[in-house]
Amino acid sequence: MTIREFLSDRLGKITGQLCCTVAAALFLLATGTSSGVIVLLLLFLLLIFITTQAAEYLKCHRRLSELNALMQGLDQKYLFFECAPPPRTVYEQKLFELMRCSGRAMIGAVSDAQASMQEYREYIESWVHEIKTPITAARLTCRHMDSDSRRKFSAELAQIEAHVERVLYYARAESPERDCIIHQTDLSDIVSQAVGNHRTLLIQNHMKVETGDLDFTVYTDRKWAVFLLGQLLQNASRYRKIPSPQEDESPNTPEETEAVSSSIRLAAMPCGRRIQLTVSDNGIGIPSHELSRVFDRGFTGSNGRLRGGSTGMGLYLCRRLATLLEIDLQISSEEQKGTSLTLTFPARHTAETLQNCKTNPY
Amino acid sequence: MQKIMIIEDDPLIREELSLLLENEGYGVVSVTDFTDIPEQIRDCAPDLLLLDLGLPGQDGLTLCSRIRKSSALPIIIVTSRDSSADEFRGLSLGSDDYVTKPYDVPVLLARIKAVLRRSAGVPDADVLAVNGLQVSLTRGTVSLNGRCEELTRNELKILAHLMAHAGEIVSRADLIDVLWENQIYIDDNTLSVNITRLRTKLKDLGMPDCIRTRRGMGYQL
Repeated sequence: MTIREFLSDRLGKITGQLCCTVAAALFLLATGTSSGVIVLLLLFLLLIFITTQAAEYLKCHRRLSELNALMQGLDQKYLFFECAPPPRTVYEQKLFELMRCSGRAMIGAVSDAQASMQEYREYIESWVHEIKTPITAARLTCRHMDSDSRRKFSAELAQIEAHVERVLYYARAESPERDCIIHQTDLSDIVSQAVGNHRTLLIQNHMKVETGDLDFTVYTDRKWAVFLLGQLLQNASRYRKIPSPQEDESPNTPEETEAVSSSIRLAAMPCGRRIQLTVSDNGIGIPSHELSRVFDRGFTGSNGRLRGGSTGMGLYLCRRLATLLEIDLQISSEEQKGTSLTLTFPARHTAETLQNCKTNPY
Repeated sequence: MQKIMIIEDDPLIREELSLLLENEGYGVVSVTDFTDIPEQIRDCAPDLLLLDLGLPGQDGLTLCSRIRKSSALPIIIVTSRDSSADEFRGLSLGSDDYVTKPYDVPVLLARIKAVLRRSAGVPDADVLAVNGLQVSLTRGTVSLNGRCEELTRNELKILAHLMAHAGEIVSRADLIDVLWENQIYIDDNTLSVNITRLRTKLKDLGMPDCIRTRRGMGYQL
């Protein structure tokens, strides 16, 4: 609170006092008090006035900065009235009560929302676990089909699984401390698991997978990293260059598939004390003006509209999980040339701090 | 015959799983009454336990640690709970492996085989033999009547799979699938190239028409 604000707040009061003083001085002058005495008296009154106002200003200022500091220190700002020091005047007390009442209503609403969010998350998680039982049963049952139908059926099942996984990780990203464990993991393991999980899709789309040097150790949660990488593989195969129809007609003979050479390359290299994994494809690429928004929630872009079936959730989730795992995720792309994503895994000590920050499950 | 006990509350999965394992040559016992599992285990003395965690009325993890206290029976936990924390808990309570649903059938079978082999201390079969043709998996060679040819990793996996299914028609897609499981990410073209090379090597050994192409269906050894 500046002095100016303080004074303008009291402008009415001060003017009133001034009027009273002038009236009293005129009255004294009329009743025959000598002007010297009146001037003395006025000076005295002025001194008292300035002292009290100054004292009051300092008091207000101190109290406000105290409250400000309290607010700064609070994590949940809406809890302010629960922690504020008790008011000193009756008027302040009444105001305080009103504010506290409103604050309590807010706290109630927030904790209700949090509880229902938590319940929702738990429901989603148990739902995902439930749905996996029939998927497993379907997987086992489709063995009896002939080879061709089985392949188509498995591809559909794989898609269902991919959608289910995304839902699960979306819910998990809300409270990562519950199931994320940072471990020393072989990067080649992560890659081969991710590729293995999506091999039905990749084979079906005739994607060529090339792996470069992957002999590195990274510090991360294996399952999350596998999921993250899986999203990138799915994207690469969804946004591959699709050949003209006559080339695509009978993909079973090698001659015809020759023209189609969609590929993904996974390779890693050390980058200081960190490990950098690059996943690059030769797909249709992303227009440069959309590149900054691909990690936004629900952003599908022109490619998504072109190919359909895009949810705008894959890369959004990747960015979220990557942030939680302290993986630096960068994208670069050139239209009709391909897209390349770089994952920079944290160095050992960063990962250890990350793990220690959480409730340690060991 | 090795006996596998299935503890799984979903009837369809239980049924399909026991069918699958029986076809693979295992003896199968399915538990349908989940009240006193440790006793049932004592009674039928299986070689391996496939344990689902979400059982009616009790927690699979508690069961796992209870079984582990009284026996060294190999346990594979098969569950839909798939977070790292769950897996960590499962393995630390004494299970030998942790497979998450929905699993790939070949992957599950491979894990079962691996756990059984580890518990029995028997090394993996090294030499496959069909019609006098012998493949050594550890040395990566194929031999016939004392003559020997070296194989590349891809050729070895292809030939081994064809030999394991000798007489059956193996589709190209199945072959590619098997190779991908072994971290060999080849496409249709490369498969053709590899088959051609493999045929040349077999021809050099004196078995020119060993791998037959069944048009529209696949290959047959």
